[in-house]
Amino acid sequence: MKRKLKTPLLIMICCLLGVGAGAGNVSAKRASDSYIYSYWGDAAAAPAAYVATEWISGSDLGTGAFQEPSDLHVTADHRVYVLDSGNNRIVVLDHDLKLVTAVDSFTREGEPDAFLQPQGIFVTDDGEVLVADTGNKRVVHLDSDFELIKIIDSPESELLQDSFRFEPVRIVMDHAQRIYVMAAGVFDGFMEFDAEGAFTSFIGANRVYIDPIEYFWKQISTKAQRSQMVMFTPTEFTNLDIDSEGFIYATNGDQWGNNIKKLNAQGSDILRRTGYSDPQGDILYVSSEGPSRLIDIDVADSEIYSVLDGKRGRVFTYNGDGHLMYVFGGLGNQLGQFHTPVAIDRIGEDFLVLDKALGEITVFRTTEYGRTLNEAVKSYYRGEEETAFALFNRTIAMNANLEFAYAGIGKALLRQGDYKGAMVHFKRSLDQKNYSKAFLLYRKEVMREHFPLIMTMLFLAGTGIFAVSRIRNVKERRKGASA
Amino acid sequence: MSREWIRFPLSLMVHPFEGYWDLKYDRSRNFTLIISFSVLFLVAVTNILRSQYSGFLVHVYNPESMNSVMEIVYVIVPLLFWCVANWSLTTLMDGEGKFVEIFTSTCFALLPLVIIQFPWIWLSNLVSLEETAFYYFSNSVAVLWFVYLLFVGNMTVHQFSPSKTIGIMLLTLVAMGFMAFISLLFFSLVQQIVAFISVIYQELVMRT
Repeated sequence: MKRKLKTPLLIMICCLLGVGAGAGNVSAKRASDSYIYSYWGDAAAAPAAYVATEWISGSDLGTGAFQEPSDLHVTADHRVYVLDSGNNRIVVLDHDLKLVTAVDSFTREGEPDAFLQPQGIFVTDDGEVLVADTGNKRVVHLDSDFELIKIIDSPESELLQDSFRFEPVRIVMDHAQRIYVMAAGVFDGFMEFDAEGAFTSFIGANRVYIDPIEYFWKQISTKAQRSQMVMFTPTEFTNLDIDSEGFIYATNGDQWGNNIKKLNAQGSDILRRTGYSDPQGDILYVSSEGPSRLIDIDVADSEIYSVLDGKRGRVFTYNGDGHLMYVFGGLGNQLGQFHTPVAIDRIGEDFLVLDKALGEITVFRTTEYGRTLNEAVKSYYRGEEETAFALFNRTIAMNANLEFAYAGIGKALLRQGDYKGAMVHFKRSLDQKNYSKAFLLYRKEVMREHFPLIMTMLFLAGTGIFAVSRIRNVKERRKGASA
Repeated sequence: MSREWIRFPLSLMVHPFEGYWDLKYDRSRNFTLIISFSVLFLVAVTNILRSQYSGFLVHVYNPESMNSVMEIVYVIVPLLFWCVANWSLTTLMDGEGKFVEIFTSTCFALLPLVIIQFPWIWLSNLVSLEETAFYYFSNSVAVLWFVYLLFVGNMTVHQFSPSKTIGIMLLTLVAMGFMAFISLLFFSLVQQIVAFISVIYQELVMRT
């Protein structure tokens, strides 16, 4: 009896699951918690571009659990370096996320030396490792075999006060071997060191935000009172990354200003902000929670960059023009959600997110939508408009809310000479500048086509008006004569 | 006579002093009122069409926030506020205008907004981004013309001196602000009273 009942029940469940799975394939209809921001600043539903596939913890790797890991770095050849701060070691994984080695000491002048609460790691394309050894107040530069190259500690300069304590937190190195260090308690920007490890200057200080009310109180208070008040200091940076051209991408804890910056060699901000809203994480939020607090940034190729919002655990990815591409992640207990995320990095197309409290790495893999969109943006960046055209067409078939994709299609159509079609697409992406370009060409085309007809009509109308007024004049004169 | 319906408001636009004098002393009340209401109607229609059909380069149309009823309200409510505030002030300050005259003069002053903006609804679809300067220019011309007509109308209707008219117009704006504030206050108070009564009613119902 029971068996009999079971089979139809099983079939029914299978059917229900099947319906669910079927709905899953039609990605636009799926109740996905992913979203993008529209031109109007509303959150529009979007299919998931990335889905979490697995969790990796230290014990899974066979090296013992991670303790408060604080940074990770992926090299160009897809080796993953995890900085396990609590255990004062570096754990190296290969492209399959299998353990290669774990390093907890290096030799310095014949003596073994170790890290103490290191916070930041950077690995160059040659495999040289830089560690911001925060507890020991120094930067350790190792070669690809973890042999010591140099140590940078207690930098000296007239720019630094005598009481200055060097506490490096995050670190990057460019192709010219210059080292940029984000140090705790430094408000003047990043510390730049030359190839020999000597401190040269600060770069890219944030601007001071002055609260008008606070400023008013400061003006009317005495010196003694003022010394007790909060000082107006620029916000500190929260993280940095460097792209292949040597531009530094940085995030800061600013609530009001631009919290993502792209710094050139002079330290000025050259991030393109031509999207519908400035890249800043969430633009809609509960006012009690406040805006996003970005704590990590990762630059991929083609100027695509991703930022991690520590407050809500979301990863936002933007293209070089500042258009939001996709959002994933969140705080919670499920796979694909975090407790206290601290670092993100791309391993090829996929994402690794490091969780400090759980000591785990979450692996996110692209969905078809994510892959198509990534490829579309990349080929658009490279100027391959035909490929971009086809790929953008596929992305909007999956997500009609992706407004900036229409501009990509419009540009390709403009190049092909389909001005009318280009206009339609630029209008959909609410891109007035390009719409105007397409419109001018379209107008010229129409005018050229119909020029004889238009001129004839104008001529006829002109003569008609002239004739009518002439006849009227004559009639009135006759009337006047008869009266 | 039938031509007068169109000719009079148009000639008032270009000869405001004569026109408003005519409006106050020579024309019949019905005649001016009917024209006033039709101008008001046209302004509302222009605004609705403008928000729906203006060119993409001058107006990004959001279908979700478009509301024709609100467009009408945006025309009528400020106009009534203006008239009431102006009337209240000028009766205290020796103005000779009646409320109807204030209303009709204000409505007549709105005419340039229709005459200039209405063709631009379609013209704006035929311009490029660089040429939109013309659109914004003619819009400002329309607004300036409107303000000028309002000024002349007010001056003629109340028989004020120019400087006094300017003062009264500024004061009217302040009074409009007051009125808005008081009506908001009134509404929120009424809301609270209603809420209070309904709570008491609920309390009584639940008790028994």
